Amino acid sequence: MTRFGKHPDSDAADLGAEALHGAVADAGIDPRLIEAAYVGHVFQGMVTGQRVLAQVGLAGLPLANVENACSSGATAIREASLAIRAGEHDVVIAIGTEHLTSKFRGALTPDPSDPEAAVGATMPSVYAMRARRYMEEFGMTREQLALIPVKNKSNAARNPLAHFRKEITVEDVLESRPIADPLRLHDCSPVTDGAAAVILMSDKAAKQHSNGRAVKLAASALRTGTVDVEPASMTFEPLTWATAQDAYERAGIGPEEVDFAEVHDCFSIAEVLRVEGLGLFKQGDYPSAVERGDANIEGRLPINPSGGLIGKGHPLGGTGVAQVVEIVRQLRGESGDRQIEGPRVGLAHCRGGKAVGIEGAACTVQILVR
Amino acid sequence: MSASAVGVSFRPGELEVRPDGTGNQLGSRCSACGAHFFPVREACSGCLSDQLETVRFSTEGTLYTFSIVRQSTPAFEVPYALGYVDFPEGVRIMGQISGIDLDEIKIGMPMVLSLEPFGEDEEGNPLTGYRFRPAEGN
Ligand SMILES: [Zn+2]
Repeated sequence: MTRFGKHPDSDAADLGAEALHGAVADAGIDPRLIEAAYVGHVFQGMVTGQRVLAQVGLAGLPLANVENACSSGATAIREASLAIRAGEHDVVIAIGTEHLTSKFRGALTPDPSDPEAAVGATMPSVYAMRARRYMEEFGMTREQLALIPVKNKSNAARNPLAHFRKEITVEDVLESRPIADPLRLHDCSPVTDGAAAVILMSDKAAKQHSNGRAVKLAASALRTGTVDVEPASMTFEPLTWATAQDAYERAGIGPEEVDFAEVHDCFSIAEVLRVEGLGLFKQGDYPSAVERGDANIEGRLPINPSGGLIGKGHPLGGTGVAQVVEIVRQLRGESGDRQIEGPRVGLAHCRGGKAVGIEGAACTVQILVR
Repeated sequence: MSASAVGVSFRPGELEVRPDGTGNQLGSRCSACGAHFFPVREACSGCLSDQLETVRFSTEGTLYTFSIVRQSTPAFEVPYALGYVDFPEGVRIMGQISGIDLDEIKIGMPMVLSLEPFGEDEEGNPLTGYRFRPAEGN
């Protein structure tokens, strides 16, 4: 993957190409072994995937561009895995890329045709309302919530590819610019450029070509939200729960066996909702678990060791693939200063997109095993 | 057209504004199972029936949660309060909150629909939109 951050001198195709070269070099394969490509991106325009492959001279492959909001990159991985499971291909690349700083400055807003956008909804305000409700129902304090960006930016400070490399304190969070009460600037993921790529192989191809460092993708689940018949609780995520159940069942691995997770912390409160929706922590328990250090890299169940979206950055299309890159490196023991001790099972979770009346647009859960 | 400042609904499919200044939010009711949806839908996600009728929702509900928005798009002047109100039909609708100091807003407050000026159309004619305000006597 590329460094995440601001890349004023390159575009989404440059970043995607850099990520592709990195993945090929890591796998130690001849790039001509790649039989197909899936490329996730959101705001980069038509055929960005083709522009990536053109940069590296790979021509003629079947390629599909994938858009699923913040789950675009993760969906590209799932599509690649399906092509292999279907027996159609043996070596497939999944790329996620986004040059977001050239498209957005401040908060991303939902599509203006959305009835909620029409009355003033912004992405942070929707999560702010969920945070307010969670505080009311479970007694979470503002200081407890601040510990999540503190943790994630501390992890990011140990990640050379992260957007933010500076540790922060609870006071820094509470004194940062208010965005949508109770959320402040440090509660929000930044506008980031970046790309990541992974190479997926069939068992047969892995025996032949992998350099012994491959890890197993045990499950790659995808769901879209349902239209609510009754208003759903905004402090629990049935979509995350259902997608996770699909993944646990497919992998034959339960939440109690997960050693660490990369989850979609687009906002501090989102990390709470996600880990509880995944069944990794009981509902209402996560804020005090973070306070005890359970979610730290050295803790019982590290969450977002890469720095997460808040610390590492959130280049929409790149995000889901970068999560899997982090999990692969952690499982191989190649994560340097932020290495978790001896993990066997890692889980990646993405969700994104907003459509009124739907709990969430797209959600993915992937489970990787050493 | 009455002499009042009542304009055209900012989104006629979602908000009915009548000449006398009253109005309702519009949605769908499933004739087969009774489920309600906002905004109007083509089919029921509960039972998949396509026998849906457009209905007016009640104008009184309860504040489920809220936020004070401090940063927004150029179309909205900050700060403003935004909330979700639960209505008896079983729908939750987002809207801005008016008629109360921003630091007085609380989860669980009874709220009523309030038709208010809400921007202009492309020719500069005033549009009417909705906000939610605390119910009288609250
Ligand atoms: Zn129905």
